[in-house]
Amino acid sequence: MTLSVALGPDTRESTQTGTVTSGDVLTAPDIPWNLVIWNDPVNLMSYVSYVFRSYFGYSEAKANKLMMEVHKKGRSIVAHGSKEQVEQHAVAMHGYGLWATVEKATGGNAGGSGKGKGKRG
Amino acid sequence: MAKAFKYGLKGIRGYLEPAERELLRSLFDDVISMLEPEERANEDPLAALVGLDTEAREPTDRAMRRLLPNVMKNDDDASLEFRRYTERSLRENKIGALKAAALSLDRDDLVLTPADARHWATALNDVRLVLAERLDIRDDADADNVHLMQDWAQAEDVESYLALVYNFTTWLQESLVQAMVHSLDARR
Repeated sequence: MTLSVALGPDTRESTQTGTVTSGDVLTAPDIPWNLVIWNDPVNLMSYVSYVFRSYFGYSEAKANKLMMEVHKKGRSIVAHGSKEQVEQHAVAMHGYGLWATVEKATGGNAGGSGKGKGKRG
Repeated sequence: MAKAFKYGLKGIRGYLEPAERELLRSLFDDVISMLEPEERANEDPLAALVGLDTEAREPTDRAMRRLLPNVMKNDDDASLEFRRYTERSLRENKIGALKAAALSLDRDDLVLTPADARHWATALNDVRLVLAERLDIRDDADADNVHLMQDWAQAEDVESYLALVYNFTTWLQESLVQAMVHSLDARR
């Protein structure tokens, strides 16, 4: 992502916890798909955060945290759900111009389900 | 000179010079023509009606691949299957936003409703994605290099001209998104 010339150095470090907070831990074992947003050098950080707020209804803090995770780590899981749900989100993200993919949640990401452990991608 | 979009009582207002309007109109038109599906003589009209495209393929052009990406990272077959059900309506939605943005350029006053603003934001974003592929922007360092190009007097070749256009659309989109964030905050 890129920080545009019009934007000041507002990276909102204060919203960066660096760890996954309890609200993000998925407890239901029957929700096996993730929506992943990938970093790219074009999309504006402000725009990505705006999309997370307006489409998913996330708080400003959560939207910024996910946006920074995309920016710094290269990708972020921004939603979970059934395959159909995350596919629908992915199409919406493509509509916004964000680079989104869906993937089966592995054990580590999905929390509750141990079945996927060890599998990658 | 264009003015940054601002959120105010009447909505989101911007100002563009006639030449800037012309530039944006041609950029929107370019991306529209990239996205418009080819006419197919022997197409099943019912399939077309429900948005199914049995002939859909992963685009070979990089800019098109960025506009219409695969839905799965490591599963081309599943991505293609998904593309056949979704790509046509994705193209139509993008074209709709680009056309709406182009249409509002015909008005004297550039005052955007919330729906206009959303169309503008995605239209500018799609234009920037295409320009970025043409400029070979692969990482943040490439983007920073392009950002250095700010002086229209230096535009002496196609690439530097494209870089200036990219920076202009980036600045415009950033100001629009800031105004949209303000309107989002104001509604809460």
